[in-house]
Amino acid sequence: MNLFFIQLRGEFIKLFSRKRTYIGFGVFVLIEIALVFLLNLEPVQRSLQKVISRSGYVAEDYLSGLTLALLVLVWSVFLLASLYLALVSGDLVSKEAEDGTLRMMLCRPVSRARILIIKAIACVIYTAVLVVFIGVTALVAGMLYGGTGGLFVFIPTERIFALYDFGTGLQRYALAIPCLALSLMTISALGFFFSCMNIKPAAATILTLSVFLMDMILKNIPYFEDIRGWFLTTKMNAWLAVFEYQVPWESMLADYTWLMAINASLFVVSWLVFEQRDFKS
Amino acid sequence: MLKIDHISKKFSGRQALFPLSLEVNSGEIFGMLGHNGAGKSTTFGISLGHVRPDTGEVLIGGFSVQKNRDRALGRVGAIFESPAFYNYLSGWRNLEMLVALTSRPDPARMRQVIELVGLTKRIDDPVSVYSHGMRQRLALAQALLPDPEFIILDEPSEGLDPEGIEEMRHLILRLREEHGLTVLLSSHLLSEVEQICDRVAILNQGQMIYCGAWKDEMDAATRFRFDLDDWPRAQGVFSNAGCGVADESNPVVVFPVGVDISDLIAALVHSGVRVRRVEPIKWSLEEFYLTRMRS
Repeated sequence: MNLFFIQLRGEFIKLFSRKRTYIGFGVFVLIEIALVFLLNLEPVQRSLQKVISRSGYVAEDYLSGLTLALLVLVWSVFLLASLYLALVSGDLVSKEAEDGTLRMMLCRPVSRARILIIKAIACVIYTAVLVVFIGVTALVAGMLYGGTGGLFVFIPTERIFALYDFGTGLQRYALAIPCLALSLMTISALGFFFSCMNIKPAAATILTLSVFLMDMILKNIPYFEDIRGWFLTTKMNAWLAVFEYQVPWESMLADYTWLMAINASLFVVSWLVFEQRDFKS
Repeated sequence: MLKIDHISKKFSGRQALFPLSLEVNSGEIFGMLGHNGAGKSTTFGISLGHVRPDTGEVLIGGFSVQKNRDRALGRVGAIFESPAFYNYLSGWRNLEMLVALTSRPDPARMRQVIELVGLTKRIDDPVSVYSHGMRQRLALAQALLPDPEFIILDEPSEGLDPEGIEEMRHLILRLREEHGLTVLLSSHLLSEVEQICDRVAILNQGQMIYCGAWKDEMDAATRFRFDLDDWPRAQGVFSNAGCGVADESNPVVVFPVGVDISDLIAALVHSGVRVRRVEPIKWSLEEFYLTRMRS
């Protein structure tokens, strides 16, 4: 095996040997079960049926596993996944610096850039794995309760209302997962950035969440309606556009280009800080 | 092997290390002494590229750690005070991951080093259940794995029990004898340093106040205990010769460089002092260190 992959494997061994790495996975399984259970309650079903029927569709056709899975993604993943991604990415460098294992690593003739690149790649893969896990388990949980059927999309904040048959719905759902992962990379990039600073792991996590929540709060202030597009969380919502009847590829591409540019900039600054940092006891 | 050339470092405006230069020769065991915060760890940190110096550079095997870290640290191993490992992984896995940072892990070589440090039976246990001594051994194993020519040991005996300290000492001496290793170490256990180091440097508040072969100075026996009949009169003679009196109740006289004991005895006899006995007193490293620190 190439040395780079051996090192990457080592990073994953470290990452997945720690209990906190699994918190995100565990909580999402719980929330999926809870959501699916609650959505099956009669008053909730009635409310959902009302929304679908009002549009002239047969509610039973769209109260499916896909719809339940999407509800999990739309209402929980953004906030909760951000929390766990901030927790893990904020820990990646700062925890090792705090524990002293980074100094142990740096006793070897390995460049700081290489260490950082491997950690950054591990962070990207972890983000993708978590999102795919959530997407797949949400779908499985939804299917178990709701079976196959059409996809009903109702996201008032983004002004998206759409109904798809099972095939098209599944395609859109499958497309949404990598787009969501791409959006959430920015949280990981922020966490990673703060993790490279000379601060405690908890501080890195809190700072990441603070930036994210601050951005979200500012975005939702009605007076800022005209500049909503400038906010990070607005761009991160680009993944939802895959559920529009006409997917606005151009605006999605623009949003993701922005996000990737921000992620790359954060990584470059992280690297510069990491290169200049002193590691002492 | 190691050349420290005018390195200095400030942390948050405080001068942690004043310009420091010294050399460690191949095959030498060099001790670095000083109280906590004297600058030892900063020197080690700069020597390993963990800390960026404000001035100067460190050369290992002719390569600059600051400009060509990969080449400079190619044959260097190091352990730190309270070595840190991934507690949730086994000792073997820890070593494997550290080795993999620079080369493909070689299980045969790993087993050989683990055997050398005496960890064979516990290497598959998670590090979280290791005693302090076992962690020190694991740290030494990781330092020895790249087959180093030079090792930096920051407090290698810290927290070890007496048997562990003795084992560590024998291991360091064995590594020098059998593998020709050059060693730079720091320790607060002066008796240990005394037994293994060829030369020492003493740091105080970021400044080097001594560097040399302290054993030679000990052997020069520049202190003598005198048994005399007229101490007040003798004091005048000692004072004229520039000698200092270290302990008046049990007279120990410290000789400056260049004063010959026979000349001094002659001067004492000449002034009417009867000299009953003169006994050379060797310095212990602790005394040597404390004298230097107090002066």
